[in-house]
Amino acid sequence: MIRRLLERRRFMREHRWTHAHLSGYLDQDLDPGERERVEEHVGLCPQCRRVLATLRRTLADLRDLAAAPRPNLADGIVDRLRDEG
Amino acid sequence: MRPAPAEGEPALVERARAGDRDAFEELVRRHADRLYAVVLRFVADGDEAQEVTQEAFLRAWRSIPRFEGRSAFFTWLYRIGINEAKRRAARRPPIHVASLEDEPVPEAPDWSEAPETRSDQQDLRRVLEEAIRSLPLEYRGPIVLRDVEGLSTREAAEVMELGEAAFKSRLHRARLAVRRAIDEYFLEAEL
Repeated sequence: MIRRLLERRRFMREHRWTHAHLSGYLDQDLDPGERERVEEHVGLCPQCRRVLATLRRTLADLRDLAAAPRPNLADGIVDRLRDEG
Repeated sequence: MRPAPAEGEPALVERARAGDRDAFEELVRRHADRLYAVVLRFVADGDEAQEVTQEAFLRAWRSIPRFEGRSAFFTWLYRIGINEAKRRAARRPPIHVASLEDEPVPEAPDWSEAPETRSDQQDLRRVLEEAIRSLPLEYRGPIVLRDVEGLSTREAAEVMELGEAAFKSRLHRARLAVRRAIDEYFLEAEL
């Protein structure tokens, strides 16, 4: 019983730590030991696995979110600059 | 003197600092579209984004003699643009911004490999844009600069005038909040 409680507490500690480091993991910003720590927990935790996979997809979708350029934007600014003298 | 097409940015900035308007106009042509794309996510619409972009370049032209080159020209320019956008936002009546919701929705499906039709892509784009706009400004900047516009963490942190640790913390929470908004979208689509 006590062992199960301690395991649960350890799991939740790893869960919180992993959740806070998923961006660092995807940005290749963790050291090898930290990467291993994330991977170990993600292997055990379906929720963190799903968050990691969907966060990776979110970042890919954000990269595709380019704004449509505004026609003649630079020309308009140059005109204003010239008006200012 | 009209700049040569491939003239390097440091040389253009140096000439602009000395009052060469042709050099500054070349900087406008190189950076206007990207600055517009950034400020668009901080203001009401494309017309306001155009005004803010214009105002930012006018301010930059007036201040460029004092630009010391401690950061890249474009990070300095983005800072001016974002500050101008924030100034405008502050003039509007305050709107209630919900606290940042970044926890996963427990019942949401795993949509990481959901196939995309053209209409799915349009829906998803709308959800992403709305999720970004609903972020408080201090979280919006990091995700727009780093993930949408593709600046490095160091560059984006410089624009936001944040240390890297604080920047990364805000970026992570912003990403989780946007991810959660997509969770909600897919959960609704399933019902």
